[in-house]
Amino acid sequence: MALMNRRTKVSDEIPTASLADIAFLLLVFFLTTTVFNEEKGLPIVLPEQSEEQDVSPKNLIFFIVQPDGRVVVRRGESEQEQVVAVNQVATILRTELAANDNLIAAIQTHPDAAYRHMVNVLDEVKLSGAERISLQELEN
Amino acid sequence: MAIKGAGFKKKSGSDSEIPTSSLADIAFLLLVFFMVTTVFRKERKRDIEWTDAEATEKIDEKRKNIVHIWIERAGTVYINDVVTPFDDISEVIRPLYAENRELVIALRGDREVPYSQINTITEELQQAGAVRVTFATRVEQRAVRARR
Repeated sequence: MALMNRRTKVSDEIPTASLADIAFLLLVFFLTTTVFNEEKGLPIVLPEQSEEQDVSPKNLIFFIVQPDGRVVVRRGESEQEQVVAVNQVATILRTELAANDNLIAAIQTHPDAAYRHMVNVLDEVKLSGAERISLQELEN
Repeated sequence: MAIKGAGFKKKSGSDSEIPTSSLADIAFLLLVFFMVTTVFRKERKRDIEWTDAEATEKIDEKRKNIVHIWIERAGTVYINDVVTPFDDISEVIRPLYAENRELVIALRGDREVPYSQINTITEELQQAGAVRVTFATRVEQRAVRARR
């Protein structure tokens, strides 16, 4: 009879061996499902309201965004206009910047042009490395 | 008077298993830590189509310094989940900017919104003095660009 003693005894403790597995599973689950809300975009600093600067026309290059997404390039001094595709803007501006460090890229957008057209041009201007950017609405 | 086990005791032999009894505590501690530190997105999801830009930068700014302005395709503007008419934007932003000088405005406009609306908003922001603006975009891969 003494043989039966130990074997039949049921442990009175809650089994905790798998608790770590459960906890880690939950941890991994939450880590993988969490989506971080990253802020991404094209930063720009608008001019202060009172700030009005006189800029010599030779330091200006205009990118006029048409409602259909085409871009018209106009150098500040000349009246000559040139229609280009959006993806050419960066190349043009890069060569212009190489010639003149103080160049200001002025993006003039037609009021009816879609926001994305303006962002596409701004994107190109940013890619070219231009520091001085001006955003304007095209006046008729 | 025989010595039990001939002097060799089981007690002195160290356990060959790694103690796992505290593993659960560690895991739960980590779990609780992550749960407590996670900040959930406060704003409601809006139905806008993002614009893509290759030059998209990550804005390294504290969350509390960022104010989102949503412009839906229909021209409805939301600031902090409140519908705001165009003319009132500067009045809404001005106290926020007075409170926090490091304020960054994230403009989240639908891609088809006409530029005149964006221009109105930037002018309102200038009036309020909040001049740090971000045009929220998605990162664009170069391969996609040809389709523009």
